[in-house]
Order: sequence, then C-alpha cells, then structure tokens
Amino acid sequence: MSVTVNFPASLQPLTGHTLVVTEAVVNVAQLVNALDRLAPGLADRLDDPLYNIAVNDELLLHNVDKHPLSDGDVIEVVPTIAGG
Amino acid sequence: MAIRDRVARLIDEMPRGPQFPSQGATLFADLERRETRVAYTPRSVTRAVLAGRGANMYYLYRLLDETLSPLSPDIPLIFGSGLLTGLVPSAARGNCTSWSPESGVLLDSNAGDYFPSFLRMNGFDHLVLYGKAAAWTLLMIREGVVTFEEAAPYVGMDNLDMRDAIARDMGGTWRRNMAMANITRAGENLVLTSGIMAGPKAIYARGGPGAKMGSLGLKAIVTIAPTREFPTAQPYKPYNRHIAQKLLATSVVKNALSTKGTPFLYKPSRLLGAMGTKNNQETTWTEGLDAEHFDEFRPGMEGCFRCPVNCRPLNDLHVEGGDKYNKGDGPEYVTLGKFGPNLGIDSVASVIRLNNICNDLGFDTASTGSALGWALELYQRGLITTAHTGGIELKWGDAGTIEKLLFMMATREGFGDVLADSTRAVEKGHYPAEAIKYRIAVKGLGQSDPHDARILKAFALGLAVATRGMDHLRNRATLEINAKINDNPEFKTSLYGGPVSAEPNSYVDKERAVRKCEDIYAVGDSVGMCRFTTKLFNSPSLPGLEEFQQQLANVTGLQFSLDELERCGRNVMGVERMINHRLGVRRSDDTLPDRWFDEPNPGGPYKGEFIDRGEFERMLSRFYELSQLTQEGVPQEAWRKELAAALGTK
Repeated sequence: MSVTVNFPASLQPLTGHTLVVTEAVVNVAQLVNALDRLAPGLADRLDDPLYNIAVNDELLLHNVDKHPLSDGDVIEVVPTIAGG
Repeated sequence: MAIRDRVARLIDEMPRGPQFPSQGATLFADLERRETRVAYTPRSVTRAVLAGRGANMYYLYRLLDETLSPLSPDIPLIFGSGLLTGLVPSAARGNCTSWSPESGVLLDSNAGDYFPSFLRMNGFDHLVLYGKAAAWTLLMIREGVVTFEEAAPYVGMDNLDMRDAIARDMGGTWRRNMAMANITRAGENLVLTSGIMAGPKAIYARGGPGAKMGSLGLKAIVTIAPTREFPTAQPYKPYNRHIAQKLLATSVVKNALSTKGTPFLYKPSRLLGAMGTKNNQETTWTEGLDAEHFDEFRPGMEGCFRCPVNCRPLNDLHVEGGDKYNKGDGPEYVTLGKFGPNLGIDSVASVIRLNNICNDLGFDTASTGSALGWALELYQRGLITTAHTGGIELKWGDAGTIEKLLFMMATREGFGDVLADSTRAVEKGHYPAEAIKYRIAVKGLGQSDPHDARILKAFALGLAVATRGMDHLRNRATLEINAKINDNPEFKTSLYGGPVSAEPNSYVDKERAVRKCEDIYAVGDSVGMCRFTTKLFNSPSLPGLEEFQQQLANVTGLQFSLDELERCGRNVMGVERMINHRLGVRRSDDTLPDRWFDEPNPGGPYKGEFIDRGEFERMLSRFYELSQLTQEGVPQEAWRKELAAALGTK
C-alpha cells in the first residue's frame, strides 16, 4: 500500500512537501494516525478547520474520516479560506 | 420634497453634540451650493443599527426619494465609518451607501485602507453628500475644516496619477495623515461598474458608486489630519491587545491570510468543481492559477490602518521598462476568479496585469468581470457579433483584447459604452432580450465572486437574499466549505444557534447559517471590522459579537447584551429591505440566475448538481420566517413599526 500526501507551505516545516504512507490504511482517519507517526504532532495540526483534504483531486467537505482510501491514492491538504 | 428640505427636516431632529464618547459628527455637504451643516446621529439610531453601514441606512431611509432616479443629485451619497473604526485592530472599514445606478436597488459598499479611519480622525463619522457641483469639485477636510476646492487639475486622471498629484499638491502623506476617496475617468463618465477608490487598490466597489459620485461632480474627498487619541468611556487599549492576539493566533490568519492572502481560495473552489468559468458555463479551470503560482510575483504584503494581519498581496511582474501596470497591489480572490477562469484566462501574469489596470481605472472587478464574461458568452452564442462590438472579436482567454476593452469602458468608447452599462445592457437596448438568460446576476448586480453556488445551497441562498444583489460578502456561510466543522455537528449547531445539515449540497436548515452570518456581518460592518477577520467568515475563532460588545462598552460606554447586538445586525438588514421595498424589490427578486436552476453543474465531484426550484422556494420561505420577514421579504408589521420608530418615522 502506498498513499502519497502533499502538504501546503504552512505544514512543510513539519512534513516536507510530501510524505508517503506505506502502511495499510483504509480511510482518512487511519491515514491521519499514520501520518502522525511519521511526523509527530501532525494530527493536531490537521485538527484545524483551515485544512481540508482532497483525495485524487476531489475535495472532501464532510464525512471525511470515513472516506475510503486505496493503494496509489494521492492526497492533498488544502488550506481553505474565504475571500473578497 | 427636495433633498434640501429633507436634510433640513432631518437635521432638526438630530442632536447638536456627541451622544457618547468617541462619536463623530455627520457632515451634510450641499455640493451645488457649497454649504455644509453638521449634526450627530441620534443615540436611539445608534442603539438600533449602530454606525457605519447601519447608520448609513438611517440616512438613506430618511433622505431617499424613490420617485427620482439613482443619478439624480437629490439622491444622496453617504459615507459612514464604524463605531470602532480606527480604534481597534482590523477595524479600519467604512461603508458607502446610495441608490445604485447599476442594479437599481440598494447601493452599499464597504472599503478599508485608510480613508474610513482618517475621516474619523477629522471628527466625522458620516458624510451625506448631495446636489450637483457646478464644476468638478474636491471636498477637502483638513483637521476637521471642510472646504470645496476646484478639481479641474485632476479631471481625467485615473487612480495612480491622481494619488501622485494629490500627494504632491496637498502637503500630506499617505498612510501617515492623509487619505482619499476618489473617482477615476470611469466615474467621471458614469460607468456603472466604476467604484470609488479608497487607496491604491481599496475600493468602494459594488453597484456603481463611482458613477454616483461622478453624477454629483465630485472628483475626490481628501482628508488630512494627524492621527489622534479619542475620548473613550473606558480604557480600550488593553482589550485591543487581546483582539490582536486573537487575530494573530488564528490559524487562517497565521497560515494563509498573512502569507498569500485570499487567492488561497481559488484551489478549493477549483477542486470542488465550483469555480465559475466562462461566465459559469463551466466550473473547473487550470491549476496554473493556484495561489502558489503567484509566489514569485509577490514581493510583500500590505495592510489597512492599524491592522496587524496585512493580508493584501503586492505584486511585481519583474518586467524591465514597460508601463505602470507591471507592479501593483493585489489581486484578491475575486479579481483572480473574475479575470481568470471567468474570462478563460489561464496566465498568472495576465491576471495580475489586468488587476493592476482595474485598480488604476477604478473598476469594481466583480461587476466589470461579470459584464465582460457576459459579453463573451453572448458573442460565443452569436447573440452579438462584430457588428455590435465595432469589429472586435471577443474570444475567451484573449487578455490583450480584455485590456483594450477596459480602457474603452473607462471612456465609454465604442463597444466600451455597452460594457459600461454593465447588467443594464439589455434595458439600454445594446443586447437582445434573450441575452438576459445568460446574465449571472441577482437584483441587477453581477455576482461578486467566482464561486459557482449550484453545489453549496447555503451559498446560493445567501446570494439570492443579499440586499445589495448577488454578493457573497453580505452573508456567506463560508464555513460550509470547512469539512472539520461539517463533521462536528455539536460545534456546528453552537455556531449557528441550531442544527445545519453537514452535507454541503443539502437544503436542510441552511437558512439558519445564512441568517446568523448576515446578522453578525452587519454588526461587523457597523462597527467597522473587516469581514476577513470577523467570526464565521474565515474561522469560528476570530473576533465576533463578544469582542465587539466589550470594545463598544469601553469605547462608547454603550452597553449591549449579545442578543441586543445581534438584533442590531438584524435591524440593519431589516432597514435595507424596507429601502429595497420602496425601490420595487419583491420576493421574486430574491432568486438566482436561470443557469443555476436549469443547467446541472457540468464537472467536478458534484457533477450534475443544480438548484431545484421547489426546494429553493421552500428554503427561501423558511429564511423569511426565521428572519421575521413577510412572504414578500420585508420586516413583519410589529418589527417594521419598531424600526420606523427607531428611524424617527413613526
């Protein structure tokens, strides 16, 4: 299993641009736990309404934790703000 | 009754001195007769609708003669700063209000930078301007003294040259002691998408305020005065530190607004398949306009008066030589969307350059982008041809032609005259009647932002019911797009005072989110707080009613319960709806563009999503009921009487 996760600049001091999770994860909640093992403290940083998650370029707006993941998925952490 | 009689009657009812510490005066300026009078907003009005946008509505409601037309000199142009403007971190805002020549309904626009704060430094909270000046005029307010100056040397100048000339001639310094609200050639030529510039980029934008100011023969208002301390009821600076800390500790400020600014929003809208593209015919566009692609062109960030956030990106295209449009201020998300995907433009450099031109020409990029996108689609469909455009081919993605059209709009030259009439181009006989079908507008105002709201029903409802027309900054329940909040029902319920469905495309209870946002944002506008840093717009952690309540008590001595303060926001909306009702607005105007009802979203993860007319009408009815509005969208009788009493019209 290999899931690639890309991070925005604000998280890169902790994660670098990309982390690759190779342990088996079936959904986003498990992915976040796995990421926290690779970059301790990351789960707390992601527990922030600023950050949304996109899976294979699909932005998830609800029911995120249970969203299923598959081998080869590309995840992106997307800062989401409002503007004028 | 003529405007002078209305003003005289109103002033007779108004106090002659401040009603609470820190209150500034209202200046009534008759531009035709070059006369001024001063009075103070009554305390009862402040308690009902606060100041800024709220009290502006009091003045418009009392002075409006709806039998006239928006550009009549008897229709006033009103400026107002908030109760906390200039005193509290991130409260640098003020509103400009009138009857819109673009939409035909309420004109109300908010801007920051330095003008609203420096107006207060001169002792004025509100300006009420009316009468047509015999010759182009500059209203000078120097240390509280008001004079009418000849503006002839500045006529024909756009924003950049005007700011250079005023700095040279007036003996003040931008950002230190001088600020200005001015129009450009577009305003002089009554272009309906023209705004009133309040800085290099800051603009009172929506509804054609530039045209309204131009119709009065007023080129600029210049304020010069040193910054000063205000007499306040209690010390307020210690609590300012709390507010500043709260602002700077909020993730959205720290990790987004202060680093790249609002262009961050482009990417989530794109990934959602909600990025209005080619006049909303499509909903996805290139990743090449994601915020990180602006990094190399962003030499720094700027901010408004005493705002610690500094969310305004500057730009530099790194072009040696060339003209003045290769450096500037911005773009914000709206401009990025309206001059990127909306026009089929995929180049960062082109968007930045067009942004800089709009800032100089004094264009509301939302309305201007909307007018251009509409024209491009009409041309694509063959509803207009080169016979209409004077031989100009209108093609998606042709930034060079767009640039040329902007200059033609500013001077109403050729096809620019058509574009300058914005959403009214059919009514003015420029386009065939069928063109209305492709106009993305509500209540005559083109959409403010590029977000296609066929997916998020709360966004759609907000755009439909916003009192100034199709604008997201009045009530957008922006946190609907934040998954962490959607997936925490208890927290979401606490934010909106009741349950709101977690599903973005559900209609269930979305009226509650819009109602809460509209109330809090109206309070924010009326105290002068920036929308970006007001609770619920960008984060649940930003300053909101609690902070406003505390600083209102410290600064003004006025005590409001949280419920009373929220009620003030509701009252502002109520008065706005009463004004709109006088201007002919009815329930059928609280609607959305046909495209969103009739054409499913063509792409992205929510492909096929649209607005169901029946569901929308039911959501609108629930919104009215929750808002204490009649089924025609005006305050119910008991509330209407209460508002009339507060406004002195019972």
